[in-house]
Amino acid sequence: MSAIADSTTMLRRNFTHSVRYAAMTLSGLLLPVLMMLMFVYIFGGAIGPAISAGTGGGVSYIDYLTPGILVMAVGAGSASTAVSVAVDMKEGIIARFRTMAISRGSVITGQVVGSTIRTLVSLALVIGVALLVGFRPAAGPVAWLGAIGLLALLILAFTWLAVAFGLVVRSAEGANMASMPMQFLPLVSSAFMAPDLMSSGIGWFAAYQPFTPIIDTLRGLLLGTPIGNSGYLAVGWCLGLTLLGFLWARSAFNRDPRR
Amino acid sequence: MSHAITDSATMLRRNLRRALRYPGLTVSMLAMPVLLMLLFVYVLGGALGGGIGGDIRYVDYLTPGIALMTITTSTMTAAIGVCSDLTEGIIARFRTMPISPNAVLTGRVVDSMIQTLLSVALVIAAATLMGFRPTATFPEWLAATGLVVLLTFGVTWLAIAMGLLSKNPEGASNIVMPLAYLPFLGSAFVPPDSMSGGLRWFAEHQPFTPIIETLRGLLLGTGIGTSGYWAVGWCLAMTVGGYLWARSTFRKRALEA
Repeated sequence: MSAIADSTTMLRRNFTHSVRYAAMTLSGLLLPVLMMLMFVYIFGGAIGPAISAGTGGGVSYIDYLTPGILVMAVGAGSASTAVSVAVDMKEGIIARFRTMAISRGSVITGQVVGSTIRTLVSLALVIGVALLVGFRPAAGPVAWLGAIGLLALLILAFTWLAVAFGLVVRSAEGANMASMPMQFLPLVSSAFMAPDLMSSGIGWFAAYQPFTPIIDTLRGLLLGTPIGNSGYLAVGWCLGLTLLGFLWARSAFNRDPRR
Repeated sequence: MSHAITDSATMLRRNLRRALRYPGLTVSMLAMPVLLMLLFVYVLGGALGGGIGGDIRYVDYLTPGIALMTITTSTMTAAIGVCSDLTEGIIARFRTMPISPNAVLTGRVVDSMIQTLLSVALVIAAATLMGFRPTATFPEWLAATGLVVLLTFGVTWLAIAMGLLSKNPEGASNIVMPLAYLPFLGSAFVPPDSMSGGLRWFAEHQPFTPIIETLRGLLLGTGIGTSGYWAVGWCLAMTVGGYLWARSTFRKRALEA
């Protein structure tokens, strides 16, 4: 029971940080929205027709794009988590927490829960803006629940990985660099463009990398496009990454701090 | 006069040494335009290429825009650097020494120009590897280089003025963002006529569009029209405006330091 109280305290600390360093919090929230506006209004006129033709004319570019931007928002959220964990490690506050009568797991749990809530707010903002600029999902309540569940699973996976990066790297710059793949791999997936419209080698990579089945599943749930076996792959990748991140973060946190 | 030049050279040496000692920012500023180029050519180029019309290939269309974006994003290091100098108190120390007052800014501008022009050269080399085939003659290459140097000079002074306004390096990075990413809202990546109404009007009339069109015309032989005059005009306006703004802001901030 003490573990829950300690985790709540750490969560409160996490939120206080978010409010105190509002610039970083805001940039994390606004970056995916700006990305979406840029792709819809600047590149949409050029990319849209190719996407529309590729999907048999049934999907507008804003509809095609939104699931990819949601996944990118999760990646952007994880980067700030990695940085804040790394800063805590560097400043020695984690070492101080170790000497206190605090549940060991609560320090990390507070970070994970705080990051998850922040990212969910970011996703709500992205969906809100997407609806304003013409996103029209065809999802029913069950499909929406499925999409939210998949996003929550992805957030959990990315957050645990980000915490692990922050614990291992121990510098803000290094943590930011380490979390780059989570932010930029979605660019080379089916987020902005169908892989079969890309040049051969890149198209092959985009078709088989982890983010593509996640984005395609999300797109299928929200727009009613076929999912195929992407659903199993998406859940598999999310669970695999969550487990990897959790075990890695736990071992990094429990390691002798003098090393 | 020679005293001011010697002092500026000393400051330039200091800045170049710092760039080598802390290569992280320099390398990321170099890498970003190349990564953007790879992304737009290989990931998005298939669809974007169809929207540019004519017989021009997308890598050829894109390279002048990326070269210009390299210039605007590289100025962030200058803004952050000059702001760091002010906040760390080194400027206050320089003021107690027999140093030409303008040497600090001049050294910073020349350093930024050297780094930026190297970045542009790297981007053009990367573009050539990706299939960029300019049709420019030697005089056109000279004119394009002149325009790039003039733009770099103008944008650097403007970025330094913005950096001097900021109270901390993070703020300096944020304040220069609009300048750094304004080419996105121009003809750098797609023709303005593929954009929606209000945005199209803005893209057609913002400062960087005539500069990109002139650069594209010089390198690829496409029509320049009146863009050339506008390009040089905007570059000169940025240089004069940026220089005067930076100098007056520096005097005020240096007195506060």
